[in-house]
Amino acid sequence: MSTDYGHDLLFGTFVTPTNHPAHQAVEQAVVADEAGLDLVTFQDHPYVAKFHDTWTLMAYAAARTSRVRLAANVHNLPLRPPAVLARAAASLDLLSGGRVELGLGAGGFWDGVGAMGGPRRTPGESIEALDEAIQIIRGIWDTESRGGVSVRGRHYDVHGARRGPAPAHPIGIWVGAYKPRILRLVGRAADGWLPSLAYLQGGVSDLTEMNRRIDDAAEAAGRRPTDVRRLLNIGGRFAAQRGGFLQGPPAQWAEELAEVALTYGTSGFVLASDDTTTTQTFAAEVAPAVRELVAAARAS
Amino acid sequence: MPSYGHTLRFGVEVRAPAAAPGVVVEAAVLAEQLGADLVLLPEGEDEGGLDAWSLATWTAGRTTTAHVGATRLDPLARPASTLARAAASLQLLSGERALLSLAAGEDPRRLVAAEETVAVLRAMQDTSQPRAPLRGTHQHLDGAEPGPALDREVPVWLHGSHEKAAALAGRVADGWMVDLAELSDERDQAQELARLTAALDSAATGAGRDPREVRRAAVLRADDPLDTDGLVALAVDHGISVLVLPVDGAAGLTARDRYLLERIAPTVRERVEDALPPGTLTDRPVRRADVRARRRPGIAYDEVPESLAGATVEPGDSAFARVRSTYLRGGDPGLVLRPGTVGEVVEAVGFARSHRHLPLGIRSGGHGISGRSTNDGGLVIDVGRLDDITVLDEAARLVRIGPGARWRDVATALQPHGWALSSGDYGGVGVGGLATAGGIGFLGRAHGLTIDHVRAVEMVLADGSLVRASATEHPELFWAVRGAGANFGIAVAFEFQVDQVGDVGWAQLAFQVDDAAAYLQAFGRVVAATPRRTTPFLILSRGVAHVMAMVDSSDPDEIVADLQPFAEIAPLVQQQVVVAPYAAVMNMFPESPHAGRGEPVSRSVLVREITPAFAAASADLIASGAAHWYQIRSVGGAVADVPADATAFAHRDAGFSLTVMGADAGRVDRWFDRVRAHAQGLYLSFESDPDPARVVEAFPPATLERLRRLKAELDPDNLFRDNFPIVHHGTRSAS
Repeated sequence: MSTDYGHDLLFGTFVTPTNHPAHQAVEQAVVADEAGLDLVTFQDHPYVAKFHDTWTLMAYAAARTSRVRLAANVHNLPLRPPAVLARAAASLDLLSGGRVELGLGAGGFWDGVGAMGGPRRTPGESIEALDEAIQIIRGIWDTESRGGVSVRGRHYDVHGARRGPAPAHPIGIWVGAYKPRILRLVGRAADGWLPSLAYLQGGVSDLTEMNRRIDDAAEAAGRRPTDVRRLLNIGGRFAAQRGGFLQGPPAQWAEELAEVALTYGTSGFVLASDDTTTTQTFAAEVAPAVRELVAAARAS
Repeated sequence: MPSYGHTLRFGVEVRAPAAAPGVVVEAAVLAEQLGADLVLLPEGEDEGGLDAWSLATWTAGRTTTAHVGATRLDPLARPASTLARAAASLQLLSGERALLSLAAGEDPRRLVAAEETVAVLRAMQDTSQPRAPLRGTHQHLDGAEPGPALDREVPVWLHGSHEKAAALAGRVADGWMVDLAELSDERDQAQELARLTAALDSAATGAGRDPREVRRAAVLRADDPLDTDGLVALAVDHGISVLVLPVDGAAGLTARDRYLLERIAPTVRERVEDALPPGTLTDRPVRRADVRARRRPGIAYDEVPESLAGATVEPGDSAFARVRSTYLRGGDPGLVLRPGTVGEVVEAVGFARSHRHLPLGIRSGGHGISGRSTNDGGLVIDVGRLDDITVLDEAARLVRIGPGARWRDVATALQPHGWALSSGDYGGVGVGGLATAGGIGFLGRAHGLTIDHVRAVEMVLADGSLVRASATEHPELFWAVRGAGANFGIAVAFEFQVDQVGDVGWAQLAFQVDDAAAYLQAFGRVVAATPRRTTPFLILSRGVAHVMAMVDSSDPDEIVADLQPFAEIAPLVQQQVVVAPYAAVMNMFPESPHAGRGEPVSRSVLVREITPAFAAASADLIASGAAHWYQIRSVGGAVADVPADATAFAHRDAGFSLTVMGADAGRVDRWFDRVRAHAQGLYLSFESDPDPARVVEAFPPATLERLRRLKAELDPDNLFRDNFPIVHHGTRSAS
């Protein structure tokens, strides 16, 4: 069985936002930029003192790069008020010439969130809040509609908030999600889906069922399944000898990722890498080869 | 009220409409080029303005010297805890140029939220306090991990052109921002300002603060005629120390804006300085009352020389967490001086001389064991900033290195030349400590001790004089520095003749050890028969031995030939052998912040050979569990080529250096004394025992006598006594 949503392929890295040394993560963003990758992403855990504030890191890294797109992977919603996040994302998108995407998560690590003074939410509440937040964010970006933004939700009560700024390009809202209810929200309201392979208990084959839930929800909401880009956080190790999944030479990686792209419709591969050589190898030897394999398969 | 002593600064506040992001950034960058000290980006009151924080951060990425601040931030809009992390990140990424200013509008909710936000920001930057919950009406903290520890806190200002904001700034903030355009009218501006300033000052005093803790910034009227007299009056009559020009971001810098920055600012600066008594204005940091409250007795904090004041760390400073302790020792010093030049080292020594009653630690890398480079309530002079590495003479391989450089940086800098300089076994160690004590490293048998490569040293002595010691200049000091340098002064530069070293063989072997005594004897025998190009170190614990050996050769046959005999001593359970540059070995472990606790218990002996009796006593020590670290470093080879009286490190006949560490001194010594019975000396760098008896073990009688003579001459008051002192009794050395 094969699925393909027809999106062009994106390749990126997933960089640890360490603040010691202070510029390490920025340097890794520059490496990704210079290597020609499409995307550099950072996790967002504001309760961890050894990590940079992800938004500040992204804005600084954006100023130091020229081509690569930047996104959180993914933002911790309970500590990021949606209206502020929307205006910040639009502003950085304007400053960077359209290089910002918005990775969003419902939240987790509730003890950490609570310690920072944020709300503790049950899984159900966190999805509800995410749903409201997406409406607020889209409302802020929508400077065409008249009047202020009003979303009178259970978690966010925005009443007549001014709109704007509008981003430079349609920023994608990419959501990290695994369970059925939030996958339905992704299908209904998001532009992208950003799970991590490490959290899929059955490996890549889990994607089939999860994709189906997103597709069904999209269609039920009057959208097309292709409205939701499917990305995947991956980890691996380059080695001379062929080994397990993404444990081997670049050619092996390319075959495996092309297979994932063609089987599950995954069109964004985000590699966990804090290492210059790994990032460069991924960009120079894996990304073009996957693109070629996928293009050939799509053409046939 | 006159000046508060703050030097005058000029800034721009660039309003940032979304329509022209490029113009806004250009204006900010240009303002910096024209001399603006601050570039401020306000949270947009305008429809659809750019996000101030994103814009400030972006601007920080595009500028290099100006302070960059997000201003008029709504304290109700975002969690203060997350703002604190954002501020810390901007501070770290921008190189300490961050600033933030909160809108303390007349709306009482905003005023309360601003106060709560400041409290959260302070708590999040203070890594020395327990995590107390803060429960406000709008902002909360409930056990969040504070940090990251910053070298300098991010200044927090409050913005509001009314009395309540001024008073709140006086109570809690580092600065206050007023819009002159919002004062009643131009004619009454002086009166109005005087009233607000008085409110600020009295609130500050009422809160137990010094009004000088709060900088005052005025945003000029957009239509201000920019008369120099008026601007001087703001500074001289009202103590305004930041003059902020409002800039329309859609238009960029106008001719008027440029005129103010380029022409008027220097004139105003000059006239303000002329109008005030000399010395009124200073860049000396004004510490908050709560920071000053943590000062220790007996230190003249306010007399720290001006040149040192900016980089000095006190117990209440946010940087304190990062400098208080060393690699192995927990500490709580009263003051850490961080000189950045030789002249500043001289000033620091002068300051230390007037604090003879306190402990004085001298720190280069902070790895010292004998060297007390931290203490309780005393001074520390940290020369970590003196870390230059310069090649002086390529043909002679002469390299000048500052004491604050780390050995990993030295190795990395020398590698492209095909050179290396024997250092210790860990790249994070600082140059100063090792190069004044010995330096028993992985290239020891092949190339000698680190001190054997010193050709000259420049040192600040106890009387503050700077001397250069070499074979021909101050030769007696040159002799003494190479083995007992810490007793004589602070080394500020070394000149080393380094060795040509290509890629080396680097082995890490692990063995199963059933009979520790037998293993030790065999190890000793094999080392004695091994060519001097190979230097093995051994770490022995119950049941397991780890051998790390460096072979100064990239020839696989030579490497295998030297290592094979070691592999045959006992069953090999793990092995890794690579050919790599010396620098790769020194860079094996990344640097991590120093967070030592308590006091290390470390013991050292030097032995000529591993005798059966020494091995048996060692085996008993290891079996006892009293020590968690038992390491033997092989010496000999090139180390023994140097005559015993050529340097103050005299134990040239030692074959092995043993270091033992444990948690409890009494327990360690119970077993270690039996090991020590077989010793021929000790290496002071690894000895933490302050007992004067250790001194005669480190230095043979003739050496010690010679050292004490020189000590009496150069440091008669025993200023330098916190790293293996050669003079103990009384405060003056016996001559």
